[in-house]
Amino acid sequence: MTKRRAKLALGIMAIAAGTVIAGLMTVPSGLEASSHREAPITALDTKADITDIYAFRSYDANGHDTNPPSITIVMCVDPFLEPANGPNWFPFDPGVLYRILIDNNNSGLPGLIFEFRFHTTEQSPALYTGLAGFGSNPNGTNGVVPPQINDFSNPGLNLLQSYTVTIEQYPQNSSAPPTVSSTSQTLYAVPANAGPRTINYAALYQQGTYTNVGGTGISVFAGTVDDPFFIDLGGAFDTGNFRTGSSGVPGVMTAAEDATNGNFAADTVSGYAVNAIAIQVPISMLTSTGNVEPATSPHATIGIWGTTNRNQVVVLPGTPVKSPTRQVQRLGNPLINELIIGTGAKDFWSMSTPSGDSQFAGYDLNPVFVTAVDALYNVLLPGALISPPPPRTDLLPLVEYLPPIAAAGTKAGPIADMLRLNTGVPPTAPGSANRLGLLGGDPAGFPNGRRLADDVVDVTLRVAVGGVLAGNKCGASHNSACNVFPNNALGDGVNVNDVDLDLATDGVTNLVEPNTHFHTSFPYLDYCPSGRNRVHIDPGDPGCTDAGSPINCKVN
Amino acid sequence: MQAWRGSILVILAAAAVSSAQVGLLSPAEEKIQTAEKAIQNNPQRYQNYNDLAFALVSWAREISDAKCYSQAAEAVEKSLSLAPGNFEALKAQVEVLLGQRRWKEALECARPLNQRTPDDVPIWGYLAEAAFALGDYDESVKATQWMLDLRQNNARGLLRAAELRVVHGYLDGALDFYNQVYQQVPPHEVAQIASILTHMAGAELMRGRVESAQKLLDQALQQFPGYYLSIETLARLRAAQGNSREAVDLWRRRNQELPTPESLYGLAQALEQDGQRDQAKAAYAEFERAATPLVDQPANANRELVLYNVTYAHNPAQALRVARLEVARRHDVFTLDAYAWALADNGQYAEAKAQMEKALAVGTQDAAFFYHAGVIASKLNDRSAAEHYFKESLDLNSVSTVSAQVRQELQSIETRDRSGQAAARGK
Repeated sequence: MTKRRAKLALGIMAIAAGTVIAGLMTVPSGLEASSHREAPITALDTKADITDIYAFRSYDANGHDTNPPSITIVMCVDPFLEPANGPNWFPFDPGVLYRILIDNNNSGLPGLIFEFRFHTTEQSPALYTGLAGFGSNPNGTNGVVPPQINDFSNPGLNLLQSYTVTIEQYPQNSSAPPTVSSTSQTLYAVPANAGPRTINYAALYQQGTYTNVGGTGISVFAGTVDDPFFIDLGGAFDTGNFRTGSSGVPGVMTAAEDATNGNFAADTVSGYAVNAIAIQVPISMLTSTGNVEPATSPHATIGIWGTTNRNQVVVLPGTPVKSPTRQVQRLGNPLINELIIGTGAKDFWSMSTPSGDSQFAGYDLNPVFVTAVDALYNVLLPGALISPPPPRTDLLPLVEYLPPIAAAGTKAGPIADMLRLNTGVPPTAPGSANRLGLLGGDPAGFPNGRRLADDVVDVTLRVAVGGVLAGNKCGASHNSACNVFPNNALGDGVNVNDVDLDLATDGVTNLVEPNTHFHTSFPYLDYCPSGRNRVHIDPGDPGCTDAGSPINCKVN
Repeated sequence: MQAWRGSILVILAAAAVSSAQVGLLSPAEEKIQTAEKAIQNNPQRYQNYNDLAFALVSWAREISDAKCYSQAAEAVEKSLSLAPGNFEALKAQVEVLLGQRRWKEALECARPLNQRTPDDVPIWGYLAEAAFALGDYDESVKATQWMLDLRQNNARGLLRAAELRVVHGYLDGALDFYNQVYQQVPPHEVAQIASILTHMAGAELMRGRVESAQKLLDQALQQFPGYYLSIETLARLRAAQGNSREAVDLWRRRNQELPTPESLYGLAQALEQDGQRDQAKAAYAEFERAATPLVDQPANANRELVLYNVTYAHNPAQALRVARLEVARRHDVFTLDAYAWALADNGQYAEAKAQMEKALAVGTQDAAFFYHAGVIASKLNDRSAAEHYFKESLDLNSVSTVSAQVRQELQSIETRDRSGQAAARGK
């Protein structure tokens, strides 16, 4: 070995959004839509990948409030779960601390935190698969194959997950430590739906829905469900290459298509599952006043976001740390990280806190994504679509407590990405809900919170190009109105979540909303598609509609 | 451009000769050749120059040759002329500055890059490295924590964290991180393995665990015979064992090629310890000739120069002049220690104590620091503090380079105590 060769390692160590809502169509709205593997860090750590956060005022089949009035929050994690993918399917990660955080004093900081921790038990270690079942004989097939899984104690539910919920409540206007309480009731996570022979998924879904946990008035649910998100994801990430409907322009909807409760493009997420954590909390526990505030109250609007966290390797032992965990991801408004934050800052954004979001204001007020949409449509429909110029202060209601979501007079607070919900706005009956939420004249929908059926993709596209906002100036000289075609007609052709087509096969008949395909009571989520019978609707497949007639989904 | 390309060709020629001896090119040498060929094929592609710059920086770190940094800087300049502001060139620029020990400039260049791309782990590493060298340990810890949070087990972050743990006195924790990196290194990367083992040995030696250090160094040299860093550490180990003759041999072996002022100083100290006064005098003279022109340069051996002027040349004024130059640049614990030692040598004991306390506050478990603190306390007639520091020094490392002096000092204290007691009785 030469001496120079011997020098080889020399440098190695040195390197070393009532009355408040009435003006929706004429006031700023927002920027938004889902977050499946949006940042490098969660692309590498999918168990900690938050796909979506939903928050809405709870309702029943008639659109009435729960008693007492409550808010339902759903956090989905771990995207694109193929229901047929045994033998272990999709347990929650016991190494991840899942958190839902509530800002109820307009500070951008959590006033209330719900923490979920999971624990896995092997009920039948010798069994070759995480889920197995056959028939109704209590002894199964002579003790070899357990009977069909219809409760959490069934030995065929080999990989059984239980979980705890801890609530941290911070005192208002004080730096005192939070009041911490944990559930003592054993809570079980609903497993994936292997198929009708193996599991009575509906029974476990029902058993896994816990109400008034520990006498708190809170309901919880955790389990593998149909991913409520819907989108032509393939079209979206083929640089906005959406399908062409009746307008003749890709990604531009006709009025008829816009009003259709159906899709002309395939829902890429169809037939896939996701792990969901849902919680229903009385409004009186969420507001800073402890009351159900009217929509006009400056105390009615709260901010909601979710985080996933893992244990942290600390540089110096004994160093005081705010938390023994490192935040892997956060999510408030949908699609912020995907479409707004630059690639070189996505992880940093994911690991930062909402209260520090002023550092990302440059991204929020001058989204490169909007420039890209303008550029694309300058080719697809020359001269027809030009967005408002930056700074896009019309987007501020998404990141501050401002009308039309919050009441006038509400303290705006710092720039902070959270899903804002005016808890004073009563729910809309499922049959009357508009997928375009606030933009569609439905005050209880996105971006005033987010319901499962809200079409955040179409809303995001239109808000991004200023197409729904009065006051914005578009056109080549930025002197004409924005709320015009095609700015106000963008869409991906996927208007609804694809209904689980095998429900009848699975024995489910009456729990689905006629309009939105979601259930009409907590946790509202659709059943996990069965692994045996799941259907992924692809371009060219049956499952789409045109003027009410069934068609194959558009390919081009 | 032609000039630097010519220089590279000279280097590559040398590399070829050297490689012929082993039949292998180092990874950096291979990258230099690849980049150079790419430049010949497409001289207008800026990325080729970035590749060359990174390769040169790697090589410079491998062979400790500052000329490579100058050539890397020229490659960066060329890349930026072809594509102004291109990101990779700006990163390479920071690496060059770090290699040249121009830490403040590196920090100023790295900060906007970090704001532009906060997901970039290496850039956090640049910030951590520069802050570490400057003695801004809190900033270095923050940057390193981001490295580990972004990618939990990344080797670069763990190595930086290990160094921070060493300087903060968490030696077991440092060894844990070194071991984690060790587990990640592929078996064929013998140089990296040797480097990690040697740093583990250094941490063990720091607290006097000679046997453990010896085993680690044996493994390192078995993996990568002739590795200069292992030899340096082994020489220190021999000195700790009192085997100064072998320490001299090891330093001489180390200095056969590309000696540094620091390694020349090591040899001189070993010779002095071995009682070879004339040779030690010559070696110290050689060290002084090598180190003195570098006093105002970013890459210098000022710490050694200060210690030399205090302990050998007995030139307190020169020691303090050099120490002040260096402490104006950075305030890492080693610089603070040298500064305190120079102040003490000039009779400025109160200020020496203040600087020494700053260094000790970081938590570095270095026996020499506590020896210096003890001497300063003794000069301030603080017997209790002096005794505490001396005992701490021995507790930390009973075979350190200063352990003999520490024992003498403790003996002196005891002697003075006895004399005092006798005098009191005599009254």
